[in-house]
Amino acid sequence: MIRTDRLAAGYGAEDIIRDICLDAAEGEFIGIIGPNGSGKTTLIKAMSRVLAARTGAVTIEGRLLEDYDPKELARTLGVVPQETSVRFSYTVKDIVMMGRFPHHTRFSRESPEDYRVVEEAMAVTGIAHLAGRPVTDISGGERQRVIIARALAQQPRFLLLDEATAHLDINHQVEILSIIRALGAGVTKIGVFHDLNLASAYCDRIILMAGGEVRAIGTPEAVLTRENLREHYGIDALIQTHPVTGRPMVLPLEGTARRSSSSTGSPATPSKRVHLVCGGGSGAGLMYRLSASGYEVTTGILCDGDSDTCTASALGMNVLCIPPFSPIGPAETAALREMVAAADVTVLTAMPVGPGNLANLEVLCEQETTPVMIYIPEGGEFTDYTDGRLDAVLRCIEEKGAVRVARPKDLLSSF
Amino acid sequence: MLTGTGRRNGAVALVLVCAMLLSLVLALSIGPTTIPVSSFVPSDLSSALSALLSGENAAPFFPDATAYLIVYSVRLPRVLAALLVGAGLAAAGTAMQGLFRNSMADPYIIGTSSGAALGAAVAIVFLGGMFLPVFAFVGATGATFLVYALATRNGRAPVETLLLTGVALSMFFSAILSFLMYSAGKSLHQIVYWMMGGFWTVGWGDIYLSLLIIAGCFILIVYAKDLNVLSLGEEDAVHLGVNVETFKRILLFVSSFITGIAVAIAGSIGFIGLITPHVMRLVVGPDHRVLFPTAMVAGGIFLLWADTITRTFLGDMPVGVITAFVGAPFFVFLLRRRSKV
Repeated sequence: MIRTDRLAAGYGAEDIIRDICLDAAEGEFIGIIGPNGSGKTTLIKAMSRVLAARTGAVTIEGRLLEDYDPKELARTLGVVPQETSVRFSYTVKDIVMMGRFPHHTRFSRESPEDYRVVEEAMAVTGIAHLAGRPVTDISGGERQRVIIARALAQQPRFLLLDEATAHLDINHQVEILSIIRALGAGVTKIGVFHDLNLASAYCDRIILMAGGEVRAIGTPEAVLTRENLREHYGIDALIQTHPVTGRPMVLPLEGTARRSSSSTGSPATPSKRVHLVCGGGSGAGLMYRLSASGYEVTTGILCDGDSDTCTASALGMNVLCIPPFSPIGPAETAALREMVAAADVTVLTAMPVGPGNLANLEVLCEQETTPVMIYIPEGGEFTDYTDGRLDAVLRCIEEKGAVRVARPKDLLSSF
Repeated sequence: MLTGTGRRNGAVALVLVCAMLLSLVLALSIGPTTIPVSSFVPSDLSSALSALLSGENAAPFFPDATAYLIVYSVRLPRVLAALLVGAGLAAAGTAMQGLFRNSMADPYIIGTSSGAALGAAVAIVFLGGMFLPVFAFVGATGATFLVYALATRNGRAPVETLLLTGVALSMFFSAILSFLMYSAGKSLHQIVYWMMGGFWTVGWGDIYLSLLIIAGCFILIVYAKDLNVLSLGEEDAVHLGVNVETFKRILLFVSSFITGIAVAIAGSIGFIGLITPHVMRLVVGPDHRVLFPTAMVAGGIFLLWADTITRTFLGDMPVGVITAFVGAPFFVFLLRRRSKV
């Protein structure tokens, strides 16, 4: 177990990190996230004794970090730094072999065991074919894998990673992080992540740092919330669940956090209210566009679980909802009529229409208070599952003055 | 792969040792008067040895008494001194390049040469040249201590700070040196001569002194593996279990000790400590366990030939002139050839 107790550290006169309390259980994979300058790297340095603690303490397996002999510490704790620049042309194998340094006494030579561990570390990180190449001649991504192999060759029980995979391609990121996670219960892993989705996918717990302090600590679901991202990263983002892994996924929304002070973008008329009739994902893009431009957006009638429903609720919109696969009843139709009447304009998006949602369109056809626009983006179309009834309803809507638009820009400018 | 490199480096080491032995014999033979190798060999080996060991004159056992005197009393100490000083400067240069992770570093980089020159100038100006080697040694090692002390904060001396402090202190010492030279009058010539470096005054006493260079080099070789790790960078070395601050101290003081002895014997000879490690790294690779011994032998051979050339053909011109004159173009040639590959 590795823990920090009210740890403070920094350079010069100032403390970069303060009051850091965390502990990692055996075998856990902990991710540290936080905006630039939040002290993530400083924390890694303080935990690996590169930087001395000002106050507080780091303990590994109950012993103070300062009490470890240098080689003993290197056998216990491996570190993969953000970037390593090697000036001399050591071969890849030489560098990985240096991971065995803490296992050697001054006069001992490399043993067969050392070679076995080095070969294995190179095989695991996929650099065995580079063994004889000078490390100065390989790419940055390959070099980073060499450094990871070197840390693995130390056979540590604790591994600190400072954005270890930030310079790698996505395939190598996934590969290396999978390898690191697969080190299993024997190795406790603490890594700094830039990529929130990678942190979410691989870590058991996430620590959110900002301004040199720990702001949140817990499971990815508990830490990667819309509120945390807005408060500490200053971005607005949708948090969705990864359809396969079930981990939270962060989808940043462009510019929404600056909405209030936005001077760019379309001239917004905040008082205007738009109602969106959509479904099956056809409205998601518009919802974001409209709400980013300052419109008050309502939407419905949608089914629970429809992707548009998810987006709308994630954006905090007023959604008119019915249970999945149930018919629209008179109560819902009445509610929709009210919503449409309250809106300054109603937008109908091209979408699949069946008996279950035709009622939406029929409401638009019946009402005359609110102008309707039909949004058919390039490649989008109405798909008819109503045996021809759709055409009649659409014609009815258009006869009452609805216009077709293909581009969101035109849509916004015509409001 | 590794055994292949090992075998190749073994061959390089063998060639170097043979070249060193051959150079030693040739350098004893070559000079203003050429002495045939046959007259090095005593006519009666065992009695010559026992005479030497009991401190008696071994001259009678050699075919030519004059040749014996020239070879064993004049040339041999000079040849050995050149070998040892060359080896020492190359080893110290290798250590500094590894520590500063820069193949432009040399043994003088942290103020050693300007400290030594200042010490020598003080001895020349104020003491008429008495205790000059002592002053040079104290100047060289003292400068290193001062740089280290100035660069240390909270028990740590980052290499960048060491380097910059070294440059600053060098300039400061050079300023004092310039002042001394300006006000030195007649002894200016002596100071300049000393700074260019040479083996004019070498005797057997210097050889016993220069055995300390071997002791220093031995310590460096013992720490070669640590230097390999440190040459990846200080933080990486911490992660891999090197006691970085202690090791840097050992490295700096052993190197400056070696350099101080070398400078006390032969003045501040340039270029050996810069070019030899660089060239040998191209030949045998960066592993300091191989680089230290091979660079030492190569540095010894280089300085030996530079000194042999100057005392034979150039009227004993300062050897530092030769090392730079030959070394600099060779260095440029290497750089250009390497950048093409």
